[in-house]
Amino acid sequence: MSDNLIKEVQEQEKIKIDKATLKKAMWRDILTLQWSWNYERMQALGFLWAILPVLQKTYKEGNDLKEAMSRHLQFYNTNPVASPLILGAAIALEEDKAGKASSSIKVGLMGPLAGIGDTIQAVLFRPIIAVIAASLAMSGSMAGPLLIFLAGLLWMSVKVPLFWLGYNKSTGLINEVAGEGLLDKVTNTATTAGLIVIGGFIPSILKGLVTPLQFARTVTVNGEAVEKIIKVQDVLNGIVPYLIPALIVGFAFYLIKRKMSPIKVLLILVGLAFLTSILGIL
Amino acid sequence: MEGYGLFIPLLLGIWGYISIIAQLTGLWWAEALISGALTGLIVGDVNLGLQIGATLTLMSLGMWTYGGATMPDFNTGAIIGTAIGALGSGLEGGLAIAIPTSILMTQLDVLARATTTAFIHGADKHLETGNIKGITKMHLLGQIPWGLSRGIPVFLAVWLGAGPIQSVINWFPKWFMGGMQLSGRILPALGFALLLSQVNVKKYWPFLLIGFTLFAFLNMNIMGIALIALAIAIICMRLEGGPSNV
Repeated sequence: MSDNLIKEVQEQEKIKIDKATLKKAMWRDILTLQWSWNYERMQALGFLWAILPVLQKTYKEGNDLKEAMSRHLQFYNTNPVASPLILGAAIALEEDKAGKASSSIKVGLMGPLAGIGDTIQAVLFRPIIAVIAASLAMSGSMAGPLLIFLAGLLWMSVKVPLFWLGYNKSTGLINEVAGEGLLDKVTNTATTAGLIVIGGFIPSILKGLVTPLQFARTVTVNGEAVEKIIKVQDVLNGIVPYLIPALIVGFAFYLIKRKMSPIKVLLILVGLAFLTSILGIL
Repeated sequence: MEGYGLFIPLLLGIWGYISIIAQLTGLWWAEALISGALTGLIVGDVNLGLQIGATLTLMSLGMWTYGGATMPDFNTGAIIGTAIGALGSGLEGGLAIAIPTSILMTQLDVLARATTTAFIHGADKHLETGNIKGITKMHLLGQIPWGLSRGIPVFLAVWLGAGPIQSVINWFPKWFMGGMQLSGRILPALGFALLLSQVNVKKYWPFLLIGFTLFAFLNMNIMGIALIALAIAIICMRLEGGPSNV
C-alpha cells in the first residue's frame, strides 16, 4: 500500500518519454557507444550521447540539464552488449526524475555485466566460432569469414531486446541480476563450459609445437648391436601427448600472474621462439 | 619486385579505418580472418588471404581487450601481410610481415586510446556552455584517432612499403624466417594464458583438464568437446542448485 502511495507521488513528476526518443537513444548506444573510447573515462561520452535525447526531454531547465549531463559524463565502461541493458534501466530512472539512482545503477551494473559479457564473449562464443571459421578458411572456403561476419550480427542483435528488458525492469534489474545470484550462475556455467573447450583448444591449436630432437642409441638385439634412433617427441607422446603446448601456456600464465604486462610476455615468447628455433629444440 | 599503385593501398587503408570503427560498434569486422579474406579479394589472391587470416585468428584465440587492454593488432597485420604476401612471397613471407606488424601496432593502439581523451575534454567544455551540438561533435569525431591509427599505417605500408618490404623478405636469413614461423606457432599460448588469468583457475582447473584430456588422449574433435562441455556445465549448474532450479 505504501508502495502505491510512493508511486502516486512520483507519478506527478514522472515524464513519459515517447517511443521514438527511446529508440533513438537505444540505437545511439548500439551503434556508437565506443566511438569515443578513451583511457580517461572510457565509454562515458558514448553513454552520454546515447542518453542525451532523453535528458533533453526530461530536463527543460538549462541548469538541470547540465547537471544531468555531467552525471552521465562520469567514468563508464562495460561490455558493449550489456550496455543497452544498463541504458534502458538508466532511462527508466531518469523518467522518474531519480537522477542519482540512474547514475548509481550504471555504476552498480557495469562491473558485473562486463564480467559476464566478457566471459561469454571471450571464453565461449568467440573462440568456438573463430576455430570453426578458421578451419573452414584453411580449407579455402569463404564460409569461414562469412561465419564470423554472421556471428557478429547475431551478437549485435541481442542488444535490442536487452535494451527493452532494462527499460521495463528498471531497478528490478539489480535484484534480478545480483540479488538472486543469477549473474553468478550464468557466469559460472559459461566459464565451466568455456574452460572445457579451451582445455581442448590448447593442444589442438598449439599442436605445431613439437620437438625435432632425436638421438641414436645402441641397443643389443639377439646379441647384435643395433643403432636405434629415438625421437624425443615420441617418448613425450608416450607419457603425456601435447606436453610442450601445456608447458608453454603454463609458463605464459605464470608470467602474467606475476603481473608482467602482456606485451612483455609476448616479447619473451617471441624470444623463446627464436632461441629454440635456432637451437633446433622446437 | 614491384609494389602497388595508389588505388589498392587507399582501398585497404579505408578498410583499416572502417574495420576498427565497426569493431568498436560491436560488429566483428576487425578480425584477421575477415580482413585477410577481404584483402585477398582486393589484391587478387583470396586463398592467401584466407590462410593468413585464419592463422592470425587462431593466434588471437584467447586474446580479448579486457577493460580496454591493448592486444596485438592481428587485424592490421592480416591486411598488410596479405597485401605483401600476394606480391610473391606467399604465406611464409606474408606471415613473416604480419606477425611483427601486429605486435608493433600495439603502440598505435595505445596512441589512439590516449589521444581520444582530448575529445572527452572537449565534451566537458561544451557541457559547461550547454553546447549540445558540440558534445555530439566531440563524440562522433572521437572515432578519428581510432580509424587513422589503423588506416594510415595500412595505407603507407602497402603503398610505399610493399615493394621495399618484399625485397627485404628475400634478404631475411633462414634463422629469422624460422624464428618468425615458430613465433607464430607459439603466440596462441599468450592468448590462452591471458584468458586463464581472467578466470578463477583455482576453482575451474579440473574443467580445463577435462577438455585437454578429451583432445590429447581421445582425439575428440571440437564439436564433440563443445557438446560435452555443454552437458557438464548444465550438470554443474543443477548440482549447485539455487533459487531458480532449471
